[in-house]
Amino acid sequence: MSNNARIFFVGGVIAYRALFNWLNPWIFVPTLVVAPIFQVLFFAFLGRSAGLESDRFYVIGNALQIAALPGLFAMTFAISGERWSQTLSPLLASPANRAAVFLGRALPVVANAAFVCVVAFVAGALILRVHIAPGAIPALAVVIAVTSISCTGFGFICGPLGLRWRDAIIAVNLLDAVLLIFCGVNIPIDSLPGWMQAVSEYLPVTHGLRAARRVADGAALGDVSGLILAELAIGLTYAGVGFAWLRHLELVARRGATLENS
Amino acid sequence: MAVIEAIKLRRTYRTTTGVLRRKPLEVEAVRGISFSVERGELFGLLGPNGAGKTTTIKMLITLLLPTSGEARVLGHDVVDDAREVRKRIGYVFGGDRGLYERLSAYDNLRYFAELYGVSGREQRTRIDEVLELVGLKGREHERVEGYSRGMRQRLHIARGILHDPEVVFLDEPTIGVDPVGARDLRRMISDLVAGGKTVLLTTHYMFEADALCDRIAVISRGEIVGAGSPAELKGRVQGGHVTEIEVFGVDDPTVDRLRGIAGVTAVTIEEREQKQVLVVQTSGEHEVTAALLAQLDGFEVGRVASREPTLEDAYVALVDE
Amino acid sequence: MSSLRVLWAGWVTHFKIVSRSPFAIGVGATWPIVNATLAYFMYQAGGSPQTLLYASLGSAVAGIWSMAALDASGAIQRQRFWGTLELLVAAPVKFALVLLPMTIAIASVGIYCLATTLVWGRLVYGIPLPLEHPLAFVLAVPATLVSVGVLGFALCMLLVRFRAASHIGNSLEYPVWLASGLLFPIAVLPAWTHPISWSLATTWGMRALLHGSLGGPVWLDLGMCALLTVVYGAIGVAILDRFLDAARRSATLSLT
Repeated sequence: MSNNARIFFVGGVIAYRALFNWLNPWIFVPTLVVAPIFQVLFFAFLGRSAGLESDRFYVIGNALQIAALPGLFAMTFAISGERWSQTLSPLLASPANRAAVFLGRALPVVANAAFVCVVAFVAGALILRVHIAPGAIPALAVVIAVTSISCTGFGFICGPLGLRWRDAIIAVNLLDAVLLIFCGVNIPIDSLPGWMQAVSEYLPVTHGLRAARRVADGAALGDVSGLILAELAIGLTYAGVGFAWLRHLELVARRGATLENS
Repeated sequence: MAVIEAIKLRRTYRTTTGVLRRKPLEVEAVRGISFSVERGELFGLLGPNGAGKTTTIKMLITLLLPTSGEARVLGHDVVDDAREVRKRIGYVFGGDRGLYERLSAYDNLRYFAELYGVSGREQRTRIDEVLELVGLKGREHERVEGYSRGMRQRLHIARGILHDPEVVFLDEPTIGVDPVGARDLRRMISDLVAGGKTVLLTTHYMFEADALCDRIAVISRGEIVGAGSPAELKGRVQGGHVTEIEVFGVDDPTVDRLRGIAGVTAVTIEEREQKQVLVVQTSGEHEVTAALLAQLDGFEVGRVASREPTLEDAYVALVDE
Repeated sequence: MSSLRVLWAGWVTHFKIVSRSPFAIGVGATWPIVNATLAYFMYQAGGSPQTLLYASLGSAVAGIWSMAALDASGAIQRQRFWGTLELLVAAPVKFALVLLPMTIAIASVGIYCLATTLVWGRLVYGIPLPLEHPLAFVLAVPATLVSVGVLGFALCMLLVRFRAASHIGNSLEYPVWLASGLLFPIAVLPAWTHPISWSLATTWGMRALLHGSLGGPVWLDLGMCALLTVVYGAIGVAILDRFLDAARRSATLSLT
């Protein structure tokens, strides 16, 4: 058990560092600061131009979606990034519990997610004058953390893709797009056609976002506990499926020798 | 006039260690290398991995700026006159990379022909010529991603000589290629020289340098530790003897003591499966076998054999100093 | 004359290479559809066919920029990874002539973006494509691709020194979409940002396509695209030698 915990923490930090080792802070910062700010601004202005909803709607929605991204990408990046560095085979060969190893990678990701989320909210406050009541912040933080974890779980689905295809990270880009459209981030869910509404219920972010909007407007954590649990459940389900799929694909990859293809 | 001249070339890399508190680290990859290559020569830079061969060659082909020192190719300075140098040299390196996988060999060659200044009219004929030379004719329209290592290597050579350069630089061209393929590549390389080109080759295969090169410079840890024709280098260890002793689990202090015995010039250990083989070079004057075995008392000793030194031993002696 | 040959050979070669990347094409062709769909939903409330056409064209240009920003800055990275960067630098040609066609080829893949977005808009939402100035519209396509490609080149030059080039490209997507009036008019933005908008090829390319289709000062737009192409090219080339020199000095050429 403690061995798993060590792998979880140590392995996670080292791998994350290794992959970003060649990043210099001058470059890392734009990705974590510039991009989130501009995403929020882009959709806020688009909303204004379309006369749809309020700046507040877009700030909260996009802040949460941005928090979701690191989880989504990091899993795949962790796998296909390592494939690129060709450390993938030795890693899979290690007896370390793979779940612990990969979840360990999730930890810095959640920290990353929290950071970009804060940036987005601060930008929203300073540039768009969208203010969240200080009293709502702790509850909002919880919702964000849960959504981030849930997306990391969702990312588990994408991770195995990295084993099968070389450029899987680009497919994850598309999932990013799906979240933007389906989960109520930029389009209120009741404006979507029926089938899309149904799909959104099974995606991460949807419930977390609903909770976030309510909490930002003053609801207590208890009022949204149902939504939070739903969000968590969805994330964990995807994680479970992803993990099972990962094991299956591992076997296939070993048979088909696609692991080292780049 | 020498075709390639290197004068006290130095190259230092600055790198950092650590993430949060980065400490600068200076690595001296090449420490004052000087040599020259005459027209029509096949010159070898021989040395173990990390010795500085690739760094040296990159300085000569204008990809890296020397930290100090000078180098000239065909009279043009590699720093100030880079463009003139690039027009007249070809660069070939070993390995899988360096080609556009999704394109055919032909498309790759077309592109590089354009970049390296093969005139439009001549491109088609020239490409056919080089494909013929390297034995890839008939397979040029297949995508490179399907090529074997040997084929890729041949394509590299084709690309390197497309613009008919006077000087060709080859960086470990036979690495990872099967023995038959490697032999073919070597024949191609000799043919280049026979055709009037000057070739500088880097390699860590002693037998390759011995077989191909007119002259060799041995590099170790950024410096030239010996130079001359293969015969001259072998001469350094001529008159000497090599004793090979099989041992099981010898330790470092004992090996050091062996080095201290009178007449011993070098001791290296080769790992072969479960046992180690001590390769002891001696100057041939003394009969040292008894002294060697005395030092190995207490260790399990297997076969003891004696032989004449080869270029490999000369190399080892030079590199080990 | 030979410079043009090198540019053409480079464009053909790299366009082929990128076109054969199934994911690059897949994403290049589909992201614009996503943007367009998003915009269609959001504009639904007051969306006239003209607004929706605007959204279509805007999404396509957004896609062209994405290809240029993400892929162009990654182009150097890719060449490094493939081991071909050294060969390109070692060629006795100005590196600008090697890199320019690469970034233009990448932006050119945006032609698929344009095609798929317009087809999608037509099939799914019945958005028509009127052609008030057909010649200008047809010219606007390569004008946009080339000017954005050369902007990509200038961007690349700024990044060629660093190893993490593609990460900057990532963070430039939204800012440029925002400033170029792609999915909403620049008028919505504060006035002080307008000069930034006017200095972007995407802004003028977008306007050229829109005006070519619906009518408006399309020749002014095309003129601006041409002017900006020259300006970006000059900036890129000016920076190039300095940075290449620095790369040779600090030996970042062959490191992956």
